[in-house]
Amino acid sequence: MPQRPVPTHTKVDRNSNRPPEAELPADGLWKTFGASVLVLLTGLVLLFQATERGSAFTTEVLRRATVDRRAQPIPNLSLRDDQGNQTTLHDLLSTDSRISIVDFVYLRCRTVCTSLGSSYQRLQQQIVERGLQSRVQLLSVSFDPANDDITALRDYAQRMRLDPAAWRVVTLASADDRQLLLDAFGIVVIPAPLGEFEHNAALHIVNSKSMLVRIIDVDDAARALEFAVAAAGP
Amino acid sequence: MSARRFHRQQLCIALAVSMVACALSVRPWRGLIEHSMVWHMAVQMPMLVAGGWLWIGAAISGPDSRRLDAWNRYGLTGFFASQVVFAYWMLPLAIDRAVVMPTADAVKVAILLACGAMLKHSFDRSPPVMQLFFVGYAVSTLVAAGVFLATTESRLCNAYLMDSQVAAGWSVAVLGVAIGVAWGLGALQGVRVTTRRRQGFPDP
Repeated sequence: MPQRPVPTHTKVDRNSNRPPEAELPADGLWKTFGASVLVLLTGLVLLFQATERGSAFTTEVLRRATVDRRAQPIPNLSLRDDQGNQTTLHDLLSTDSRISIVDFVYLRCRTVCTSLGSSYQRLQQQIVERGLQSRVQLLSVSFDPANDDITALRDYAQRMRLDPAAWRVVTLASADDRQLLLDAFGIVVIPAPLGEFEHNAALHIVNSKSMLVRIIDVDDAARALEFAVAAAGP
Repeated sequence: MSARRFHRQQLCIALAVSMVACALSVRPWRGLIEHSMVWHMAVQMPMLVAGGWLWIGAAISGPDSRRLDAWNRYGLTGFFASQVVFAYWMLPLAIDRAVVMPTADAVKVAILLACGAMLKHSFDRSPPVMQLFFVGYAVSTLVAAGVFLATTESRLCNAYLMDSQVAAGWSVAVLGVAIGVAWGLGALQGVRVTTRRRQGFPDP
């Protein structure tokens, strides 16, 4: 039978930082229990607050939930339309009692803006067919004034067959206002390969007091129109 | 190598990791985390936690930390706090905020460094079974969140391109597996040492 080796040195506690259990304060468990409960409760409350009561985990859902809860004011910015006329955002939104469905595009876009354009074409068709031009308008705002000049706006209007009574396309008069515009609507624009941009897209419903009252998904254009019609009143 | 020299080397590594992680929030290096979700989620965030673990953890885990011990028996408070912190900083909206709001990014840096310190304090005071519970939870969360980020068709962060999100998702999943493997190897080593001591063998 093999002999068990005799220990040749005193055992050293490798985890010397850890005090022996007997030396820990007697009230340690209660303090730890209290601190743990406090940490968990505080954390859960903060998470609940940060996620709009647990309903929003992405920025996109959060901005929609925030607008659902409280309408957001829209700043007044200088714009230019496809005829070269200078105007302001408030003028376009508040001249009459129409409800506006606003989207944000850059006119070279071949991805999400194309999908937005198709949605707007269908919306324009419904607005004209139902004679809603006096109650609802569509407004496309370019956030790329450096590239989207009057010629580009005109080309876009022709390509998409815009009916000016129902749908208008404008660009920022000054590139300096770009961030103000994007921040007000919660749009994040990031550079993508091949000189393109990636940005979050949605249909923004703005009332005649220039207040953003609802943000609806691009794929749900029919609901956006019904919401706008209902908000416009009889 | 003398203990003093070893300690100095550890401090240098801790300082280097913390400084590189913090530098990623400052221009011109900030561009890396603004343009790449991988640099943000799979490089900077883990480095901040590691920096806190190495740097601040060494300071508050010393033998003079009895007062703190009473509030963190078995590492329980630190584990719960770090879970809450990770739950928040895994949210796409939190990632977006840190990119577009420098204030939120500064809060992220401070909290993740503190989280690393708390984890070090907790690991030094927790039995393996409790570590297994929390590490297991963290690994499963990281892998699940990573695979979800990589496979969902939705762009979850407004601040990043879809390609970046997919790469970050896989990186986070791999990070989760790596943490699990590292802890498992450490635990195995601990079991071997304990067994040897029980049998009366000297430490290697």
